[in-house]
Amino acid sequence: MPEIKVTPLGAGQDVGRSCILVSIAGKNVMLDCGMHMGYNDDRRFPDFSYITQNGRLTDFLDCVIISHFHLDHCGALPYFSEMVGYDGPIYMTHPTKAICPILLEDYRKITVDKKGETNFFTSQMIKDCMKKVVAVHLHQTIQVDDELEIKAYYAGHVLGAAMFQIKVGSESVVYTGDYNMTPDRHLGAAWIDKCRPDLLISESTYATTIRDSKRCRERDFLKKVHESVERGGKVLIPVFALGRVVFATPGMLHAGQSLQIFRKWAGNEKNMVIMPGYCVQGTVGHKILSGQRKLEMEGRQILEVKMQVEYMSFSAHADAKGIMQLIRQAEPRSVLLVHGEAKKMEFLKQKIEQEFHVNCYMPANGETTTLFTSPNIPVDISLGLLKRESAIGLVPDSKKPKLMHGTLIMKDNSFRLVSPEQALKELGLGEHQLRFTCRVHIQDPRKEHEMVLRVYNHLKGVLKDYSVQHLPDGSIMVESILIQATAQSEDQGTKVLLVSWTYQDEELGSYLTSLLKKGLPQTTA
Amino acid sequence: MWREPWGGRLSSPPVPGAKARTAGLRGACGSAKKTRCIMDRECSQLLPSVCAVLADSRQLVADDTFLEKFLDWFKTLTETESSLLLLQENPCLTELITCVLKLKDPSSSTLSFILRLTGIFAASESCFQYLQQRELLISLFGEVGPLSSALWEEASVRSGWVQGVHSMVQHQSALHFLCSCGAIEVIFTLQGDPSLFVASAANQLLVHMLTFSLQSFQTKPENIKDCDWPICAQKLIVHIEESLKSNSASRIKQSLKLLTSVFGCCHDLWTEVLWSRLSEPIVYLLEEEPVHAGHSLVDLFLSMARSPVFSCPECSLWTSVTCALEHLNPAQVGRLAVGVLKLQECPQAVKIQALSVLLQPMDCVLKAASQPLEYPGLLNRSVNDSATVETLLSCRSSCASLLCQTLTHLEELQYLTCLPVDLPHIPLLQSVVTILQFCIGLATPASCLGNKISRILIGCFRVQRSALDILGALSHWESPSVFIGSVFDILLAYLKSPDTSPTVLKKSFQATLKWLVSLSEAPSSKDHWQQTEQFLQDLFLVLQKRLCSPYWEVRDSALEFLTLLVKHLREKEGFRQVLFSSEVPKLTEDLLEDPESYVRASAVTAMGQLSFLTHLISKKPGVENGNVKEKSIVAQLKEILSTDSEGFPRRAVISVFIDWLREGHPDVLKDTEQFVSSVLQAVNSDLDWEVKAGGLELAEVFSAQLLGRLGLAACPYAAVLSSATRSTHLSESLQIFCQVKLFEFLFGALCDCDRPVAQKACDILIALKAELCDESSLKEGTSAGLSTEARGIAWLEETLRRWSSCAKPCPRGDADEAGSQDPNGVLLVLRTVDLEGLHRSLNRSSDHIEKSPQSLLQDILATVGTLEENEADCY
Repeated sequence: MPEIKVTPLGAGQDVGRSCILVSIAGKNVMLDCGMHMGYNDDRRFPDFSYITQNGRLTDFLDCVIISHFHLDHCGALPYFSEMVGYDGPIYMTHPTKAICPILLEDYRKITVDKKGETNFFTSQMIKDCMKKVVAVHLHQTIQVDDELEIKAYYAGHVLGAAMFQIKVGSESVVYTGDYNMTPDRHLGAAWIDKCRPDLLISESTYATTIRDSKRCRERDFLKKVHESVERGGKVLIPVFALGRVVFATPGMLHAGQSLQIFRKWAGNEKNMVIMPGYCVQGTVGHKILSGQRKLEMEGRQILEVKMQVEYMSFSAHADAKGIMQLIRQAEPRSVLLVHGEAKKMEFLKQKIEQEFHVNCYMPANGETTTLFTSPNIPVDISLGLLKRESAIGLVPDSKKPKLMHGTLIMKDNSFRLVSPEQALKELGLGEHQLRFTCRVHIQDPRKEHEMVLRVYNHLKGVLKDYSVQHLPDGSIMVESILIQATAQSEDQGTKVLLVSWTYQDEELGSYLTSLLKKGLPQTTA
Repeated sequence: MWREPWGGRLSSPPVPGAKARTAGLRGACGSAKKTRCIMDRECSQLLPSVCAVLADSRQLVADDTFLEKFLDWFKTLTETESSLLLLQENPCLTELITCVLKLKDPSSSTLSFILRLTGIFAASESCFQYLQQRELLISLFGEVGPLSSALWEEASVRSGWVQGVHSMVQHQSALHFLCSCGAIEVIFTLQGDPSLFVASAANQLLVHMLTFSLQSFQTKPENIKDCDWPICAQKLIVHIEESLKSNSASRIKQSLKLLTSVFGCCHDLWTEVLWSRLSEPIVYLLEEEPVHAGHSLVDLFLSMARSPVFSCPECSLWTSVTCALEHLNPAQVGRLAVGVLKLQECPQAVKIQALSVLLQPMDCVLKAASQPLEYPGLLNRSVNDSATVETLLSCRSSCASLLCQTLTHLEELQYLTCLPVDLPHIPLLQSVVTILQFCIGLATPASCLGNKISRILIGCFRVQRSALDILGALSHWESPSVFIGSVFDILLAYLKSPDTSPTVLKKSFQATLKWLVSLSEAPSSKDHWQQTEQFLQDLFLVLQKRLCSPYWEVRDSALEFLTLLVKHLREKEGFRQVLFSSEVPKLTEDLLEDPESYVRASAVTAMGQLSFLTHLISKKPGVENGNVKEKSIVAQLKEILSTDSEGFPRRAVISVFIDWLREGHPDVLKDTEQFVSSVLQAVNSDLDWEVKAGGLELAEVFSAQLLGRLGLAACPYAAVLSSATRSTHLSESLQIFCQVKLFEFLFGALCDCDRPVAQKACDILIALKAELCDESSLKEGTSAGLSTEARGIAWLEETLRRWSSCAKPCPRGDADEAGSQDPNGVLLVLRTVDLEGLHRSLNRSSDHIEKSPQSLLQDILATVGTLEENEADCY
């Protein structure tokens, strides 16, 4: 039975290091190749050894697809292609390809500069990796090979973010990456057509949250800024450099400009810092968000944080409503949740199963979800056959399934349904007819031809609407059914009738047989 | 419920008096002889509260990285100090384990954490006994523990259990415990776990248990019999044997994988006994039709073949390998064949067979492409059934992958220093060229199979890439002209074809480079050079076109190729002529203004190489404009260095300048000081740390060259200068350093906020200080008014500010005495700044405070209660 297998190496019941392996109709695709912000060692990248145990990477994987440029979705890519040794195609949208190297360079800089690591990917590796990338346009169908095709859809979230449909024959999977179902000031909402995939793999960061409108959040944000400025204070807004508004970077206050300003302003209670996103453990951003007020800085200095600390989420992920909306749009046959916390996923999973009556899965990292598919097989129909059907008077309706009869020709990897006559003609075959013949014993001592005449009269009387003929050779034809008196029986008082019909006249043939089995009427005797 | 009993403990954290208690304990258990790297006071004070948080089921620790890092810390602690002391001094740890065990509904992550933590402690035998006495081990790892709870469904809990057990198995007591509590059977089950991670960890655990339990056997090899082996090892071997004989494909694969790891990591003699017991069922697997566990068998044989235990030619392993080479599917057998050919110790007959297996698909391709008897083919006789290979090649789904694998394996062989068997490289080259012809639609196959292969391969990028890789690798063999001609033809076809994808084009360039370099270096290069020059003319025509490609990837690869070509062939007169008669140099210069910064950077590097040649050309009579041109290149590169808005081109310029300085580029030699001074000035204001690091390297090269020129370099063989001469030379060099504002640049870099810049500047300054400040003559000159107090960065920044404010209003030269150009002032600063102290602090990573255990503990505590407010809101 055909199956689709999904194994997350990252993003299975967690957030960060997105990397999902999908096997569909014998093709293997890696969805995203991200890194984990929380680690500085091997754990920051997905464990690719689980792929390499299947032989050479490039032989095993048919392609890698990157949904957008955030590092938790693409940060391991140069490592994977230039150090682990994947040499096959990589797909992403044009904006992602343009911005990705900037973020990767930044990541390399932080790692090499700040942490002093030497065994890390180099600038040349990032460039070589980006040269292997094939950039795609939205809604453009890309043929990866003869059988595997992919197509990108708009995902909102950040510039260039895309959802990808992966299709082999009639089986398909849609991977959302990160997406946003509500438009904001510079990006629109995600959109996908009713592609009815076998599986929709959706992010679920906000699986249980229904968020207030962006407008409210913007109003709150401005209010806080105004209040602080009116008090004579200053406002620091550390942000992620790419994809959102730029104030001062980096967003987690772990180095650079934003941290320097923070040090200067932290001591004044009139000032305020507004953290607009998530901060990794170990960063100053994380510490002040979790309420720490005395921070140890370099050189054993203690920095006392008197300024106000606020947290405002402007993140561009779909909330629970948005996820349900996307499922409604795409109408998948099953759903698989990634990129979220287990408990929240569990809640959303139940909701999806209840509302859409489809199976919903949430594998942990390393766990494989297998789902069986019943792929549709597309068949071309000959025009002649279609015309014949419409001549019968059935008005075609594209939305309703319709039953067609014909002969299926399977030749040169294609399927065609044609009329039986055309099939015979095309294949140069002669027609053979299959007839069913049944013996019926009739008690009648009279001579054979008299008995036949009696049968003829009887049938003519009973089957008034049918053509019943007595042929010169002594046999009887009822429509296409032939009745003959034959071979003597040992018993003189018993005659044998052979009733023969084609399978098309099965019904009439059976009826005649049962009629004759009842015997001839006594009155005529 | 939890916090109450803890209250008392929390109020009495370890106090200074604890030292005496510690000493007493150490004496009592006698196991802590190492120098202790004790958990510091602050951490031990924070630990009870952190444990209380972890044990409270109402508190969520949402970020798993906390727990992972917490475990990392305990691993480091138990490696450096006694685990038992750690537990005894921090009773909160044992309480934590007990308390989590009592929780009705612990979270899966907390339970998993506890299992792993306990395993880490139980790795020490004394600590194991301590935990055993409190019945904690049986409660966690025995049948009544998490094993029988609903949480066992969670992969993270099973994973924690396996990792806990793995850490624990460091002593025989742990093995006895696991054998007696039924844990081994659980591990057997976990080998087939639905989670890849758990299954793999369980398999590794069994490997560890088997090798650990047999460790003691290595001392008496002659007595090794598996019937005498420890109970644990016997149990494992029976399990492996049963699995191998079972009909379950997954169980067979698990056991083969396990054995692969055992033979891979352990080369003790008992492994031979193990093989003699298991070889029969393994060989039986090879005789099945078809062989199911092909990949796993290949892994097993390769891991055994690499072990010295099995290297003897009479070993039964080689019979099995021969059998595998015969029976395995061509798609599986390639890896085994190439692995065998790489071995040092292996019977020659097996190697010959392995090579035949690898060559067979190539032989089929060659025969399919040619008229009967046109080529002799690669093989005298077929090793395997060639019909199988032909079937795979004629099928769309298998053809490309079989060829890619074969080509890659054959390429690997080309890099072996000595190939143990004769490789028919000419027919191999022909077959590779044939495949490349198939892929681009240039072959006209004569056979039915050839037609099929041709239809499948046309436009297949995967095969094109692999074939071009091996084509390049085959360049190191001597080939007759006629074959070189066919190589050039196919390379040109790929380089010219508009259908060639950017990645394939890059491979074509790489292969072309390898052939050209090889041909230019070969002893018979003169014979081929005319042919090569003709090729070069065609090549440059293609290159011109590729440099104008609309795709930046193509322009960039073309420039990278050009750079390497010039680097390797610049000594060849013919090459230079062809190059300069083409439009390539002009187009390269134009690309200095490419909209794509990657391309601009590559153009800079290419121009850097080309300028060496332009200079050679300009020396010749009749070439007059070379010098003018050359000047403009230096100026252009300097302009890029000071104005380009992106980092890559600026980094490329500084690398070119370093090369020029090192190699003595004529334009640099004209006025080296002026050149260095102007470059350092441009770099000084650059915001990119790598440009700055490049500037520092330039400064380092310059100072080493200058000191060397004046006989001051630290060379053990150099003639020793008299102290008077040395002193004069030192003053002279110091004067020059000051003129080019070297110290101003170095001191500025020392204050840089990018750590690698400051670190490198510090290294250079320390080296210069050793050179310049040890001289008593210089000391005397600078001793007046010198404070001996070592100064830090703040003082240095102030000094630099003073220098620059002195320099500003005055025209160049007037500020010498007051500022950075005054040698005495510079020496004063050099001696005053605490370079050694800075060096120490710069060697620490800049996030060392945030990475510290205190910071981690504080973060865990601080997160309590704030999780709901600050939802995970990643990117």
